[in-house]
Amino acid sequence: MSAEHAKPVDGPPWEQWIRAAEEPSRVPDLPEALDDLMVLDLSHGHYGALLTATYLAELGAEVIKVEPPDGDPARRWGPPDASVGGEGLAFLAEARNRYHVTLDLGTAEGRRLVKGLAERADVLVEGFAPGRLDGLGLGYRQLSKLNRRLVYVACSAWGQFGPKAKGQPAEYDLTDQALSGLLHITGDPEAPPVKVGSWISAYAQAVWGAVAALAALHWRVHSGRGQMIDVTGAEALMRYLEYTLLLQHASGHTRGRTGLYEIAVFPYTFVPVKDGWAFIAGYTDPNFGALCRVMGRPDLARDPRFNTTLQRTQLENEVQLRDEIQKWSVNHTAEEILAKVLADPGPGIVVFGPLNPPTRTLEEEHWWERGCFKRIMDPIYGDLLLQMPVWRMTRTPPRLKWPCRPAGYHQEHVLQKYFGRPTSGHTERR
Amino acid sequence: MAIPKDYFAWAARQFDPAHIHEKPEALRGIRVLDLSVIYFGPATADFLGELGAEVIKVEMPGQGDVTRILGNASFFWKNVSVAFFCANHSKYHVGIDMHRSAGQELIRQLATRSDVVVENFKAGTLEEKFGIGYRQLRELNPRLIYVANTGFGQWGPFSRGRASYDGLAQAVSGLTAITGDGEVPTKIGNYLGDWFGASMSALGVLAALRWRDRTGEGQFVEMAQCEGLLRAMDWTWLYAGLTGRDRAKAGNGDHVFSPAGVYRCSDGYVALVAGTDGEFRSLCRLIGQARLAKDPRFASRASRRETAHARALEAVIGAWCARRTRAQVEAAARKAGIAAAPVMTAKDQIDDPHLRARRSVWEHDDPVYSQMVECGPAPKLSATPARIKWAGKPVGFHNDFVLRSVLGLDPERIRALYAEGAIGRWAEGRRGAGPPEGWKGEGVLE
Repeated sequence: MSAEHAKPVDGPPWEQWIRAAEEPSRVPDLPEALDDLMVLDLSHGHYGALLTATYLAELGAEVIKVEPPDGDPARRWGPPDASVGGEGLAFLAEARNRYHVTLDLGTAEGRRLVKGLAERADVLVEGFAPGRLDGLGLGYRQLSKLNRRLVYVACSAWGQFGPKAKGQPAEYDLTDQALSGLLHITGDPEAPPVKVGSWISAYAQAVWGAVAALAALHWRVHSGRGQMIDVTGAEALMRYLEYTLLLQHASGHTRGRTGLYEIAVFPYTFVPVKDGWAFIAGYTDPNFGALCRVMGRPDLARDPRFNTTLQRTQLENEVQLRDEIQKWSVNHTAEEILAKVLADPGPGIVVFGPLNPPTRTLEEEHWWERGCFKRIMDPIYGDLLLQMPVWRMTRTPPRLKWPCRPAGYHQEHVLQKYFGRPTSGHTERR
Repeated sequence: MAIPKDYFAWAARQFDPAHIHEKPEALRGIRVLDLSVIYFGPATADFLGELGAEVIKVEMPGQGDVTRILGNASFFWKNVSVAFFCANHSKYHVGIDMHRSAGQELIRQLATRSDVVVENFKAGTLEEKFGIGYRQLRELNPRLIYVANTGFGQWGPFSRGRASYDGLAQAVSGLTAITGDGEVPTKIGNYLGDWFGASMSALGVLAALRWRDRTGEGQFVEMAQCEGLLRAMDWTWLYAGLTGRDRAKAGNGDHVFSPAGVYRCSDGYVALVAGTDGEFRSLCRLIGQARLAKDPRFASRASRRETAHARALEAVIGAWCARRTRAQVEAAARKAGIAAAPVMTAKDQIDDPHLRARRSVWEHDDPVYSQMVECGPAPKLSATPARIKWAGKPVGFHNDFVLRSVLGLDPERIRALYAEGAIGRWAEGRRGAGPPEGWKGEGVLE
């Protein structure tokens, strides 16, 4: 150990310094990473494409959302028992920071205006059936001739190429989860597979679409050329399945559902506690030692069934070990166990936390202090509780500027800015 | 308007996988110093590497990353756990002991010549314990983008003393509480919090890189995996804010689209969704129940979602699927314009011509590990395709190459660093750390 050679830092301790550098209330005063970019959002009833543009908008891009005169069908997506101002909550939650225009792609004038916007755009995001915009003269094949710097992100279920690309149906989260392989490995082995509760494939598709778009923009700095990007929600999630394919290749073992057990690491599971359920883990040798100490069961750390990572991940041993943990955990509240975990001096560390329903998560001060949520009073939609951008950046932090706006809300502003005058061929609303 | 006849042939040419390795890489010239372990950090670096960044992965000499030893005996293959490879493609592997001052000095020198540093230590550890934190490294390299991944963040009440894994993020975010149905919680089968967090982290890095391309300025970026999953719960928070309630668990159904479900076929499960009125009418015809399309219980998306109505539909669709194979359901539904997909296993995916044609199933021949089958990069880029170049390597495999070519150290200095323990390779006989049995020096870079 030679920490004494470390060059000390002038200034406050790290936590204090970084907290000040990331102070949420300072965000509006700082520049935005992407505020030189214009993004054309042609998502239409496609959540992954919508979210791709949302991430870019949070990071500072000017996003122009083009909707048909009667609005994006996604505006009607939400739970049946709540909506605001006629908007579905799924749309209202995520269609943020945009400029909303309505243009009818079924008319020559509407298509002319989209082309005009695409000529000036850095990024275009769409989620139509593959080839659909190409058929309207608005695909990458045509638009790249008008704007060779355009980065064109196409989102779909089976992709733009490959034997199943042609004739594919619409993209849904559930079918994406099925194709990705995630559905097959979630749930109990004796029961049907279980999907992730949110539209997770759309979030995954969007992050890959935005990652690829920004990589393409970096390449464009030197090459001067844009390109086309093809992202499916299924492959977006499939990349998250760690060793599943290699395990199949290497051992012939087809990864299946293991419920609360785990084939790679253990303990790493949910257990009942006195007041609900909780996650608990300690799978490396030092961390398992810490778990046994916290449980007051040092004998388990020496038990030949559990004393190596290899032994702990034998399924029959996992069952016995989880039973031992559960016998202890049911007698304590989550808060009591967390206090024990935090008081443990080490070596090793136990990872523990309660299984929160969302309303319980919302009661925890941590997320509010860090600005993960914000309650806003919007002039159009009223009192809204929204999740905030996730990245903390000391120089160019992302931000929420406004929630969604009605279709066509910024019609005049956008047409004036890009065409110099109000233009015909559209219906203005509001 | 129709889809042009030549569209798919044109698209196939833009993305032709036969030309991937001839095309340029988007992030070529960007060097990433990866100081992280397990998945959340290493995958962040890996995703940048897939897009062309040069990634130098630093591990503790001797044992290296803990993913090298995960799993039971079935995971061990060629002397390493299969869990190691998925977050460690095409990296340069160096073994540096960061506890030693000479090791810390090497990290400083590498960071001086890097564009991005990735770490996932507890907040403040690299600064306070090793002298290589953001504030120290930016003095040496103001253009540096430093990304720190944690569970709960660099600051805030939960950031103190609390470690995190994906499973914790699933639990505390509320995602588990809205997944599945019934009393016993469902643990999502993959390490979703790590992987989703890692790709979000890579996005933060790329936004910072865009800023640096414009201004020359580096910055500190942080990503917390619990916050990543919080963000990926669509309308959960808005709903809680408006109603004061938790959204109900929907199992494999959907609050918005109905019918949506997972059905048992003769050879496994299939997922099927008919989310629009048009798709629903088409589905009724397909399953020989055209009268259901006229039934007032199923007249609109809203009425089809009502629990009793959704159950009734589920029974009819389930009966139809039960008499068919997954492939029959998928093909018939596709012809009718309805989304249906087999619940695919790893075996299904490895054998799937579509995923192979798209290189989502990526087969490659590695000089050390021979034939590998892995999941290929998710996004497909026409001009600068993402790619796998080689598989993860043993601890310290590229020590000499990196120290010579990146830092310009001479062989004598490198020998001295080995002798004092500042750098090292795998420990002989240590499971997971070294090369396969019978390795004869293949793949070593001169």
